[in-house]
Amino acid sequence: MKQKPVYTFLILMVIGVFLVFAGAPKISDYEIVEVENTVEVTSDDSYNKMMDVLTHQRCMNCHPSDHIPKQGDTSHPHHFGMARGEDDHGFEATSCNTCHQSENNLNSGVPGAPHWALAPASMAWEGLTREQIAERLLDKSTNGNRSHQELIEHMTEDDLVLWAWEPGVDADGKPRTIPPVSKEDFKKAVENWFADGAIIPSK
Amino acid sequence: MADKEKDSKKVSRRKFLVKGGLGTIGVVAIGAYLFRSPIRRQILGVVNSLEAPYLDNIDQPMIWFEVTSDNNILLHSPKMEMGQGTFTGIAQMAAEELSVSMNQIQVVHAASSTGNVDSFATGGSTSISGLWKPLRELSAMLRVMLLKEAALKMNVDIDQLSVVDGVISGNGKTLTYAQAAEGVENWEVPDVPVLKDAKDYKYIGQPIARVDLDAKVYGDPIFGMDAEMPGMLYGAVVRASKIGSTFISADTKAAESMPGVVKIVVEDDFVGVVENSMIEAENAKDAINVTWDSYDNLNTDAIVKMMTVGNGKSSVIQKNGDSFGDQDEVVTLEFRSPIGAHAQIEPNGVVAFVDGDTATIKISTQVVGLTRKEVAKRLDLDVEKVNVIPTYLGGGFGRRLHTPHAVQAAIMSKVVGKPVKYFFSRKEEFQHDMFRPPTHHVIKGKLNEEGYLAGLEHQFVSGDVATDSALIPNALTNFLGADVGAIRGGFIQYTAIPNFKAECWHVELPFATSWWRSLGLLANTFAMESFIDEMALKANMNAVDFRLHQIADEPIDIRLKNVIKAAAEKANYSEEVKDGRAMGFAASIDANTPCAQVVEVSIVDNEIVVHKVTVAMDPGLAVNPDQIRAQCEGCVIMGMSAVLYEQMFVEDGELTPTIYGPYQMALMKNAPKEIDVVLLQGKDTPGAVGEPPLGPIGAAIANAVRRLTGERLTELPLKLSKKA
Amino acid sequence: MEISLTVNGILKTVDIADENTPLLWVVRDTLDLKGTKFGCGKAACGACTLLVDDEAVRSCSYPVKFAEGKKVTTIEGLGDRENPHPVQQAWIEEIVPQCGYCQPGFMMATAALLNKVPKPTDEDIDKNIINVCRCGTYYRMRKAIHKAAELQAEKVINESKEV
Repeated sequence: MKQKPVYTFLILMVIGVFLVFAGAPKISDYEIVEVENTVEVTSDDSYNKMMDVLTHQRCMNCHPSDHIPKQGDTSHPHHFGMARGEDDHGFEATSCNTCHQSENNLNSGVPGAPHWALAPASMAWEGLTREQIAERLLDKSTNGNRSHQELIEHMTEDDLVLWAWEPGVDADGKPRTIPPVSKEDFKKAVENWFADGAIIPSK
Repeated sequence: MADKEKDSKKVSRRKFLVKGGLGTIGVVAIGAYLFRSPIRRQILGVVNSLEAPYLDNIDQPMIWFEVTSDNNILLHSPKMEMGQGTFTGIAQMAAEELSVSMNQIQVVHAASSTGNVDSFATGGSTSISGLWKPLRELSAMLRVMLLKEAALKMNVDIDQLSVVDGVISGNGKTLTYAQAAEGVENWEVPDVPVLKDAKDYKYIGQPIARVDLDAKVYGDPIFGMDAEMPGMLYGAVVRASKIGSTFISADTKAAESMPGVVKIVVEDDFVGVVENSMIEAENAKDAINVTWDSYDNLNTDAIVKMMTVGNGKSSVIQKNGDSFGDQDEVVTLEFRSPIGAHAQIEPNGVVAFVDGDTATIKISTQVVGLTRKEVAKRLDLDVEKVNVIPTYLGGGFGRRLHTPHAVQAAIMSKVVGKPVKYFFSRKEEFQHDMFRPPTHHVIKGKLNEEGYLAGLEHQFVSGDVATDSALIPNALTNFLGADVGAIRGGFIQYTAIPNFKAECWHVELPFATSWWRSLGLLANTFAMESFIDEMALKANMNAVDFRLHQIADEPIDIRLKNVIKAAAEKANYSEEVKDGRAMGFAASIDANTPCAQVVEVSIVDNEIVVHKVTVAMDPGLAVNPDQIRAQCEGCVIMGMSAVLYEQMFVEDGELTPTIYGPYQMALMKNAPKEIDVVLLQGKDTPGAVGEPPLGPIGAAIANAVRRLTGERLTELPLKLSKKA
Repeated sequence: MEISLTVNGILKTVDIADENTPLLWVVRDTLDLKGTKFGCGKAACGACTLLVDDEAVRSCSYPVKFAEGKKVTTIEGLGDRENPHPVQQAWIEEIVPQCGYCQPGFMMATAALLNKVPKPTDEDIDKNIINVCRCGTYYRMRKAIHKAAELQAEKVINESKEV
């Protein structure tokens, strides 16, 4: 019973640490920043829009660093000890698809999308900075051997990626939160960022 | 804590009669059996050793047995089967005295129309102990009645007849029970025959497989959730998610136009909707806008504050010698337990049909009599016109000791003129449970020069358990002064200590708390046995020796000592930490059954892992040792689940969580891989089984953790505060 | 709409108003197979576990439309008294059930496990069998799962001998 404030404190701590690592200013902050090179601004802006999405729990929950999928806005470990398993689809007999189907289930609140699974371990992003995530995204050894074009397709067309904007309702029937950038803006941001050379700003 | 044998009246001959003609079945034997009410017993004084007798309804005849034309016996059980194995135990008892084989006995739940209604409940670990004498006597009487008829038909002297597996033989002739019973209209009712001697038992004492085993493995049994009636509709009742909500009014306009709505039922105290399908009913329910009067700002901290020793009313339940004040060298420890949910897997469900002046209710309930009475009262029907047909229970654990949803279903059925089925959603189960109340314990102890306790005091506070329940009248609790459920396990069992006192405080909570398997035992024993362990450490004594020395010498005390010794010996109890594992010890007495446990734990990733549990228990005569072992295993795992993981919170006036997972419970991976059960028999009648093994588990685990890490955990669920 | 599916070896066509109706309720209410249980409706407890094309599925969270053309196995079709499935045989030998409500879900999950991992280790069991049992029958269940693996292995050997 005393745990509750402890939890709250922990959550605040985690958020705090996250903010320190990510150094994540709000998108609105960028709108008032004046920079000389407009091309770079677009790229930078695109980059951060994209990253606002990739670091959102709807995306991050399935890119864990510890083989355990996360759930909810608090990104707690998936209940019942579900984990990556051998092929990112859970365990042999109790797999992701034991509960998750190819679409959201509005009766049970169980989310679903085509090929529901964890991102491969090589694509672990949890706990990484934006720069590190971007590096992994571009590195063929950690992005599923995808070219830039294939990455654009994956990020703008894949049903499981786009599920983030149609995440359905939770077990309580309440709509899940969606990333802070709209789907269309995200797609544009991804396309622009790659078109501008996929530059990681801090580099 | 005297080991008193309860006495029971002889079978009432006046009430014993026989009636034929239930369908195609050969014979129906009806008997009534009178007992004196335990309400009239001095409950508080014996509550820790109470083995409540079976309570029948003395107003009407009761069907116990049917002898079927294929020479089988149908046994109508007034006790419900909720996993505890009662059907198997009573089948063994009946088969024994009827001289039939086990597979000739089929046990069914007695519908209330049989008259065989338990006017109290299935609960409190009393089914086998309560039916021990009356059921065997009734069975023996039926055997003699059948023998008498056979003697006439066979023209053989009754003394020359013998029975094997329901076949009577004598003088070269044979006759089955069914043949003996056929056509008989006037039965001669015998005196209660002499019952079998224990050494002649064929079934009693044997680890016979559960009688419902096959059915449960092939998916056959009908639970409340599975029950149906022809032409039934689906109902749903709107429930508030906020604690303490009182129904004010309902705006049903939006719901009225929902597809499939048959009727929206607005009563003074609830609003329900009847639909053609379950999903439509749920949807329409969500469309009803109800105004509630609720508590909004309640949270867990407020509940914890309320639930603190010193608040509410108190009652001294046990006292010996002098009390000791805040002297030097008095050790004081405080313990807490959280709100616990029943979380039984089968939601509460019911099908009701009110047809004119009769009502039929199919339901999984632990209280057939109470359910029938409540439906009759609310719908203004004769009690005899309400037939409650019980189903198997998908877990009871005390959750079904009040099932007023039968009343709501009956009202909805009456309004639409058709049977109505309705059941709780899982969220409703979690928010409208009758929870295990949170508790707080302040325990003080002082060692004498020899290192034993000179004094021990247990002050504890609990929410309602028996108080304000539908089963126990409040007047009784007021009279007794303490909640008879909350005090379970709260007594001091080390009565050789010269000075001791136990005092129970009672605080009313704004949400319903009630019976949760073993009642106060789980939390009280956790607190008491943790404290005793700490005192043993302080005295630098072995935890087992420390306990044994301070137990008195009444019969129950000797039985307690025996289970303590047996558990320690079987587990090779040691206080050394070996290979990262430590052992923990605890013991308790509940409902006159002593139980001791030794657990072996280690710490993995800062989580407590229970590897092995050794249980020694003395339930008296073991009617079915296998099912007693199953109850021990089940209690160990359910208890582990409760003390390591489970906890309800109150957030912004709502009880949370509302689903398994967030309400964390033991899973396969958490259950110990070894559970070793030793059964002792310290008396020659059966005692309580289904709850006593829940006592020691919490303290045993905490005591093991203390020895492993040095940390004394004082709050349930047990969580390590630092890296071990 | 009409949906055709094979349930316990028999082709069934059901007429369902809402194609998103959970398979659980079609099996229980339309096909009157009550062995598959409702526990939570949120795919959390596993009481509703059955097999769809031999894979464990929590049917409270599985729209019936996805079962079109597929093979559904419930506890009633896993085995029968004359020819029990090794899991059922093991459950009987170890006397596992107490209240029995969660047991069909556990048995179906175990059957799925043995399909994939014929000789599961304790770790395999811990990972794959994550249903909830309130009576606390896990201890006997683990023994029964190991026993079922043995029985299944014997069955395979015997069947191969017969061939």
